[in-house]
Order: sequence, then structure tokens, then C-alpha cells
Amino acid sequence: MGAETSEAPASDEEFEERTLAEIMDPREFGWPTRLGLVGLATLAVLPVLRGYGFLGIVVNSQLLTNITGAMFFAVFAMSWDMQSGYTGEISFGHGLFFGVGGYASAILQTQLGMDLLVTIPLGMVAAAVAGLLIGFPSLRLQGPYFSLITLVTPIILIGLFTFAPDITGGATGLFTEPLTSGAVEGYVIALVLFLGSLGLFLAITRSDAGIVLTAIREDELAVEAAGLNPAKFKLFSFVLSGLVGGLAGALFVHTYAGGFVAPSDLLALVISIEVIIASILGGIGTITGAAIGGLFLFLFRAYIAQVDLTVPVVGVPINEIYFLLFTVATLVVLFFVPEGVVTRILMRARRRADTEDDDEGPDVAADGGWTEGEPTTLERIVAKFVRELRELTGDRGDDL
Amino acid sequence: MAVSPVTVGVNVLLLGALYAIVAIGFTLIFGVGGILNLAHGAFLTVGGYTAYYLVNAGIPVWVTVPVAGIVTAIGGVALYKGILKKVADNPVSVLILSLVAGLIVEQVFLVLEGAQPLVVPGIVEGGIGILGDNVELNRLVVFVVSWLVIGALFYFVNETKTGQAILATSMSRKGAAIVGIDADNVFTLTWIVAAGLAGVAGVFLATFQTVTPLMGRTPLLLSFSIVVLGGLGSIRGSVIGAYLISFLDQITVQYVSPRLAGISGLVVLVAVLLVRPEGLFGRELTEG
Repeated sequence: MGAETSEAPASDEEFEERTLAEIMDPREFGWPTRLGLVGLATLAVLPVLRGYGFLGIVVNSQLLTNITGAMFFAVFAMSWDMQSGYTGEISFGHGLFFGVGGYASAILQTQLGMDLLVTIPLGMVAAAVAGLLIGFPSLRLQGPYFSLITLVTPIILIGLFTFAPDITGGATGLFTEPLTSGAVEGYVIALVLFLGSLGLFLAITRSDAGIVLTAIREDELAVEAAGLNPAKFKLFSFVLSGLVGGLAGALFVHTYAGGFVAPSDLLALVISIEVIIASILGGIGTITGAAIGGLFLFLFRAYIAQVDLTVPVVGVPINEIYFLLFTVATLVVLFFVPEGVVTRILMRARRRADTEDDDEGPDVAADGGWTEGEPTTLERIVAKFVRELRELTGDRGDDL
Repeated sequence: MAVSPVTVGVNVLLLGALYAIVAIGFTLIFGVGGILNLAHGAFLTVGGYTAYYLVNAGIPVWVTVPVAGIVTAIGGVALYKGILKKVADNPVSVLILSLVAGLIVEQVFLVLEGAQPLVVPGIVEGGIGILGDNVELNRLVVFVVSWLVIGALFYFVNETKTGQAILATSMSRKGAAIVGIDADNVFTLTWIVAAGLAGVAGVFLATFQTVTPLMGRTPLLLSFSIVVLGGLGSIRGSVIGAYLISFLDQITVQYVSPRLAGISGLVVLVAVLLVRPEGLFGRELTEG
């Protein structure tokens, strides 16, 4: 059976030490990194270019607002990838963090009249505490059970919210104060959050801690044998993911959503699934893939919502069935590009670079670097899941 | 407001049986094929809408029950053979793809019929007095038929050769292969049974509630709780779990708040997972 044989590839080569100066030298960057930096620079200067048009796209408030939402969504996706993509413990309810962050901040503001500059950090802390409360007991359980618990906790929370509609706004949502009024201010806040999260997650996943997290995904037993406590690292990534997700949720409510928080924006199952879809489309366990996937998915959805197009046979406007389109697209991508689009492009680029230049050191697994013949990150997560499922269902002693 | 204990009791008995039917299918697919089918709730939706369309076409409600079962069984086999079987050794893909497939069904009906609840008439009209309370005859019929189905299923799995083959495959795929059982046929069979049962349950649910695109969600979530409570893969545990959950759910809905429908079950699920992840009754299908 394929999944059993997909053990982590043993790399005997010494990892070539590079100094920080060498790593940061732009001349050493591959074209994907350069392209990514150009993309980030474009995002950074976009508000200044307001009123100008490029290639038929005019930079106006609408575009800035859409990109603001997209950056928030990308942060959501990255926070999922930081936890699920790296440790292989798949969370089906990351919306909980966004919701707890957003709601905690909104409720503190409306009920206690606290300042937003206080409530937003508190929302972030609340989400981290939620991560601790859920993660501490549930991460001891094996993969599928962890997934089930994360799947149902946001649903329980929505149920509890509708139970106290005067405080939480129930199923319709809750009005609170916006932090900003203009499109540009919201954009700048989202940009800072996006860049900060990207930097933080990249730094952590490319550090020793990231290697441990990756190792947990590959072989938890080996990590234990090395004298490290996998539960501690898993909890760390879960809480960190909750911290960033909660901050993003709180800021989202007070900027992009204009001071309105609703279950359908943050807590709903659809959000948790869209976040996973974005990460899968981009490439799981890479952070950059989740960021690009998140940006793309949100912008594409925003674009489709405006298109005045009707599906020929059924006579249904296309913007009504965007989620249907997305789910179908995910189905197709999962089938044909299981390692993710960004990962595949990176792989192609690496292979080309390797043939040109043999001096290059081997890649660190933590960046989701993938060369042909190796199992993909998704496959490795799957292998872990299969092992745990086996233990859970009792060893049937069948390897097929 | 005050709902009489008789009505609550009837609801518990009835919903317990219905949830048991759904959960047994869910646990069969998991216990035998190792697939956690998150599209299981969508089978109920398909069953409900099939009944709605057929009734509108002038077909009596009781005829729609087997028809809906067949339609969803075909849908289930299509889902299994077309998508899930190809990624069956890949549980993450199975989870995501089955969830996505379920969402697609919801979306399709949302686009076709909108979100408003649709009504399917009862299988039989009228009511009957029990302890001074008027109970819809339809509910009693659904209750009896549900238990007949559960009984038939017990007989099928425990007494017939085919049922034994299903049990054998769930215990050891290799062992089953050695005695000449074609695992592939067994998997297909469990999907037919499970999806068909869920479709029938969907019609039943539709006859005393309503048909909506999201009607399968609560039963799916309750199925998690039931199956975890009863032990993954255990049929007997599913029936007991279904009654515990439906009792708890009805008590919460009737005496605390109707807004909490389905929530108490989920709380139980989380509690059981944390305290006793193997379920209250362990695994039946793997016990030698």
C-alpha cells in the first residue's frame, strides 16, 4: 500500500551552512523569491497609485477594499497552514479562532465600552486562550479525533451565540465600532498584518522549531525518541495559530467588515473549509502557498460576485453559484495537482535551477520544498493520518 | 408553550430510531471501508428533495420512500466509485472531498430551490389519542417502519452470508480475502445500504419536518456524536447512542431552548472524545 511506504526521505547530505548575509543577498534569490518580493512591493505601493490604471485594472477604493479582504483571508489561510500544514493535525474548524478574536473584541466594545485599541489585543488573547483550552486536551487524541473536535467546536459556539442574542447578536450578527473609515487605512492595517504574519510564520517554520514541527508530521515517535515532547510543539503551533488568527479576526471585524461581526463571516463551517481549500490550492505546509492561495481565492470570489454572467443551460447567475464553482475546482485540483499549485511551480523552478547550478545545497524540508520522486507534503500528512487511523480502528493486520 | 411529556417521549423514540438509521450507515462505511463520510448528511437532503419532487408529480408519499432510497443508493455508489474510492488510502483527501461533495449537494439544491423550507405531506394523515394527547399517526408509522428497518439490518448483518462477509471485511481485509470475499463488492454493498438508509431517513424526516438544503447537517453532526458515543463501527452501539443523543437533544430543545438543537449532542461528543475516545461501548465489529 502506497501510504505505508511513503516514509520521510533520508537525506545524508550535510546541510550547507550559509551566513545571514548570504541568505539575504538578493543576487542569490531564485526567480520565485524575486517574483514574490515584487508582488509584496506591489501590494505595498498600491495605495499610492490610487486613480491610476494598469492593464485595464484601475486602482480605486473598490480594488483596495477587495485586496484588504484578500490579505485578511490570506492571514487566515496562513494561520491554518502554520498549524495543520506543518504538524499534520488537520483542523476543520479554524474559523473558531477568527470568530473568537472578532467576537471577543466586538462584545468587549459594545458591552463594556472599551477602546478598540484595548479590545483588539484582548480578542487576540481570547483566541489564543481558546486554542489552549481546546488544544491542550484534544491534541493528545489521534488525528481524526482532533479533526472531529475542531469541526464541532465552532458549531457549538454558534449555537451558544444564538442562545444569548442580546449580547452576541445571535445568528444575524453584532454591530460594533469601526477602527477606520477610509479604504486606504484599512488597507494599510491589513497590509501590516499580512506582512507581519508572513514574516513571523516564515521565520518560525524555517527555524529549528519549524523543523521539529515538520518532524512531528513525518514521524512523531522519532521526535519523542530524540527527547522532544511533540505535544508541546503541537500545542505551541496551535496556540500561535490561534493568536494570529484571532488578531486577524478582530482586525477584520473593525476594518474590512466595517464594525460588524457575523457568524457567517468568521465562524461558519464554510470559512473553515475555504481556508483549507485556499491552502490546498496553494500548497500545504509552505506558508507562501497558503498566502498566495488565500489572496487568489478571495479576489477570484470578489471578481465572480461582480460578473454579470449567467450559466447557459440552468439560467442561474454565476455569482450565485461561486461556492459551488469553488468546491468543484477544489475537487479537480485535489485530484490532479495534490501537492498544490505553488508547490508545483516551485518544484519546476528548483529542478531547472538544479540542472543549471549543481552547487546549490539541498532544501530544508520546512519550506515544503519538493522534488519529484519524494512524497508530497500532503502525502506525508496523509501517511501520518493513515497510521493514526489504523491505531484507532484497531490494527486490522492488512497491508493490502 | 408547555409540551406534554407524551409528545416529548414520542419524539425521543421516533428521532432515536431515525438517527440510528443514519448513524448505522455512517458507522458501516467507516467500520468496513475506513472512510469517514462527511457527505452522509447530503444523502438525507437528496432523499428529502426526491420525495418532494415525486409528491409534486402526484405520486403518493409512501411510494417515494423506496424510490428515494434507490436514488440515494445510486448517488452513494456514484460518490464512492467516482471519487472516494480513488483516494480511499488517503483519509485527508477523503475527509475534504466528501465534505466538499456534501457542500456541492447543498449548493445545488440551494440554487435550484432556494433556502425556503418545503413541505412533504405525511405518509398517513390524522392523529391518535395516547394518554390524552393527540399524536400524529404519521410519526407512529415512521417509528414502526424505522424499527423494522433496524431489525432487518441486524438480521442482515448477523445472520446472512452477505452480512457475515461485511463483518469479516471490517475485521480483517486480508482474512476476508483469504476466504474468498471480494472486498470491493463488500464496500460497494455497504455504500448502497448506508446511502439508501440515509435517503429513506431523509424522506421520513421530511414528512414531519421540512425539506431544506441544509436539512442533512444536524443529522450528520448528531451521527458523529452517536457513532463516537457508541464506538466507531459498532451497530448496536449506534442504536443505543442514537437513543441517548435523541433523548438529550429533545430534552434540551423542549425544556431549555429550541435554538440549541443539535448542540447538546456535540457537547457530549467533545466530552466523550476527551474522556473515553474509544466510545462507551467499544468496537463491536472488530471483537473477534
